Amino acid sequence: MAEKYVGKSIKRNEDRRLLTGNSTFIDDINLPGMLHVAIKRSDFAHAKINKIDVEKAKALPGVVAVYTADDLGDYWRPGPLQVPPPSVIKGAIFNARPLECIAKNKIRFSGEPVAVVVAEDRYIAEDALDLIDLDVEILPYVGDLEKTVAPDAPLIHEDLESNLAADVVQEVGSWEKAVAEADVVVKKRLLVNRVAGAALENRGIVVNWDANLNLLTVWATTQGPIPMRNSIAKYLGLLENQVRLINPAIGGGFGPKIMSSQIDDVVIPWIAMKLKRPIKWVEDRRENFLGTTSERDQLHYAEIALKKDGTILGVKDVFYHNTGAYNPYGMTVPLNTQAHTVSNYRVPNFLTEIKMVFTNQMVVTPVRGAGRPQGVFVMERLLDAAAEELGMDKAEIRRINLLQPEDFPLRSGIIGQDFVEGVLDSGNYPYALEQTLEKIEYEKFKKEIQPKARAEGKYKGIGIAMFTEGTAVGPYEGCKVMVGVTGKVSVVTAYSNQGQGHYTTFAQIAADNLGVKVTDVDVVTGDSGQWSWGVGAFASRGITLVGTAIHNASLKVREKALNLASKLLETPVDELEMEDSVVRVADIPEKFISLGDLAMRSNPTRGTVEPGMEPGLEAASYYGPPHGATGFGSLGMIVEVDPETGKINIERIVITDDCGQPVNPMVVDGQIHGGLQMGIGEAFYENLVYDDYGQLVTASFMDYLFPQATDMPDKFEIIHSQTKSPLNPLGIKGVGEAGAIAPPACMMQAFEDALGLKDMFITESSINPSKLYHYVQKAKGA
Amino acid sequence: MKIEGTHVFNGPREDVWEMFYDPNVLASALPGAQKMEMVNEDEFKFDMNVRVGPVSGAFSGELQLDNVVKPDSLTLKGGGKGAPGFLNGVGNIKFKEQEDGTTLMEYEGEVNIGGALASVGQRMIDSVAKSMIRTGFETLDKALAARLATKETGAESVEFKAPTEAQFAKEVAKDMVKMENWSAETKLILYIVPVIAVIILLAVILNSCGA
Repeated sequence: MAEKYVGKSIKRNEDRRLLTGNSTFIDDINLPGMLHVAIKRSDFAHAKINKIDVEKAKALPGVVAVYTADDLGDYWRPGPLQVPPPSVIKGAIFNARPLECIAKNKIRFSGEPVAVVVAEDRYIAEDALDLIDLDVEILPYVGDLEKTVAPDAPLIHEDLESNLAADVVQEVGSWEKAVAEADVVVKKRLLVNRVAGAALENRGIVVNWDANLNLLTVWATTQGPIPMRNSIAKYLGLLENQVRLINPAIGGGFGPKIMSSQIDDVVIPWIAMKLKRPIKWVEDRRENFLGTTSERDQLHYAEIALKKDGTILGVKDVFYHNTGAYNPYGMTVPLNTQAHTVSNYRVPNFLTEIKMVFTNQMVVTPVRGAGRPQGVFVMERLLDAAAEELGMDKAEIRRINLLQPEDFPLRSGIIGQDFVEGVLDSGNYPYALEQTLEKIEYEKFKKEIQPKARAEGKYKGIGIAMFTEGTAVGPYEGCKVMVGVTGKVSVVTAYSNQGQGHYTTFAQIAADNLGVKVTDVDVVTGDSGQWSWGVGAFASRGITLVGTAIHNASLKVREKALNLASKLLETPVDELEMEDSVVRVADIPEKFISLGDLAMRSNPTRGTVEPGMEPGLEAASYYGPPHGATGFGSLGMIVEVDPETGKINIERIVITDDCGQPVNPMVVDGQIHGGLQMGIGEAFYENLVYDDYGQLVTASFMDYLFPQATDMPDKFEIIHSQTKSPLNPLGIKGVGEAGAIAPPACMMQAFEDALGLKDMFITESSINPSKLYHYVQKAKGA
Repeated sequence: MKIEGTHVFNGPREDVWEMFYDPNVLASALPGAQKMEMVNEDEFKFDMNVRVGPVSGAFSGELQLDNVVKPDSLTLKGGGKGAPGFLNGVGNIKFKEQEDGTTLMEYEGEVNIGGALASVGQRMIDSVAKSMIRTGFETLDKALAARLATKETGAESVEFKAPTEAQFAKEVAKDMVKMENWSAETKLILYIVPVIAVIILLAVILNSCGA
């Protein structure tokens, strides 16, 4: 039997071409006669548009056209909503206000597009932006999550009664009952900050309209190529297959690239058809901060009810969720928060309410983590506060409340982002907790290391946090697998790849089923010209959904190949084996036929066609799970804090992660590394800050800080736990967001532990040296 | 955001007020000013160049003068916009006579800055604003001293030199180095309102005189 690839850390197929500079990214695409677009964005956060004077801009030599909303005529329209309203949840209120591709009468956030310049080159286009005169009446800005729904708040959408975007209440059991039975109820007001996806490569689009072929070719950095293709086709009055949407190589996504109905995908294709010239727009970094969606920003009023022994009776969480100026992505993020708040623990009574509010800020759509870190932050902070109140150890209070292996599958009673009731499919949470505690030497740290350090004047602390990661939600993905006449295998999907390693992991699954080398599997992602169906890269769903579809499709191809070989070799199928790119008779190795020859023979020639024949060693398959598969884990960190300067040093990070069967553990590790660094960034470095007038004051990497390699510990210590998902044949779960979920909760606990100050409790998911210093001063009563 | 500050001019109030009406003095105290014209009584239009770190470009705007109580106080309202962004502000300025014969200028106001100035220039605004205020006041102090000397001696006029752009840039650099050692909170005390107040005041008076 040949070596199997699934489960092995093999090197990535795509790395040679990436590392040698032979990948084509969006800005590498240059077409003859191509024009360049620059977008005029509003400097104002909230304003009524009186007039947009573009005459001077139009007059600049090299400018081909300038368009505003008025020029779009009937083509201008808001939306559509990218995620439908949560009508499946009883009593849910949702005031849909989809994104406006370009502001028409009113500006609702600073950075909102108001005009588009098309010019012979980008320099001219940028210069022309300065010549556009935007005459506005400035309106009062609303950015505070609570004040925006106060009765006297200025309305962001005047046709609504208030700035309330949605209200969703979900309850399991009875919070009232929990309070009645509780020995102690702990309340906290908790803040979660706003962060950027900040992919290395910004967004971009290139569009070419071929009027002779009736074909609109669009290269775009989108995470959702098929929905974007469908939307472009619909609004331009084209058939779906008259729009070919191609993902070039993409330098990171992290969520925001899923958004469509924006100026790039709505207006630029329209311009390309109107001007009959190829058009390119590539976002620059400041524009990415101002014009690309971001996430987090919630305010929680959370309570936990417990018995004296630490047993949780109930949790209540009423939270404000900032959706920004519009709510095009429905309730995905706050529903994820609801679904991930109590998901590690036995919580018989859980009441959770979302108050989604409009503000004059950038629209909120998922960024890696997508609501999960908020829920986990709230729950883990509540447990820390409860442990303090009850005089319990932080690990112990978690240990006694964790869900047990026999509790799975567990219906959560909470409807999630996929609009079905959450089901925790499988898990072993106590194992994940104990693995991390053991590896990080929790007891030894508390008893020996920490006191010794303190005696030396060093403030070292430990944090431990649990998390779940709802992954692999529907609706569906699909693929086509084909053996070519060379014997090589083609896997084609319209899933989008931003660097997740799909060219390897997808190939590993197909290679195992078809007995070929993994390097002989060619994977195409994100090309609607080659595969027309799918949804998009979000919710850590690629490997589970596309991977399962590839598994199923390649098994169909295997069956076809074996049946055909059985005929040609005159041997029953069960006596054949398929490996080394051939099908051979198991007992007579010299009696074989190559996969390439089988592919050739599977394409019937004249006179050989039988009824019901399907040509080719080719099969398609789709996979849509009944509900998501839930990964989980525990994170432990040891940090040293300097109470005088607020400087920190992360000494150790231990994470136990369970994503079911890892297809390529090295790729899984990479996802966890990146996730952890992002989570650490959120907790101590990265912060999108709006001033009192709605100006984003952190729109460059000078002010929006990333953790550097030097801020990281020497290594990430990763333990792979493997609880296979019962939902799919390979037992896979996703892992893309795992690392990013728990760091804020874990780090705040570690800081408090390091400083050992009574009454010091960090209520924010993001702090910095200055804030840490102030917490210390406040706790000392200074 | 709200801003306030004070500056002591080494001279009597009437002289300070009058000095503000000398266009020669005020033009030189205002870095980047290009043009200022009165469109109505107490209403002005101005053009100026602004440079805050990587953000620079032409600015044009309007100013209104309100509640003028000579030589006691006035209110300034105004704003401008240009490629680097926009700003809007309101400022109140009072001149108070001191027992020692000096004049205390008190200013307070509120300002709103937007666009690239705010989103990219943010960390430079403090330093640039601080330098503009400081060099502005230094220039005015010298001008006042020169005027008073002229008055005393009866001499024609005393020459003084406003800082060149290079000198100004050097001052900004100095201020940035100093601010490195400040806490984030200290840095948050924005200097932009006094800057605007001063710029506007200077510009207004300069032009009301010229017109």
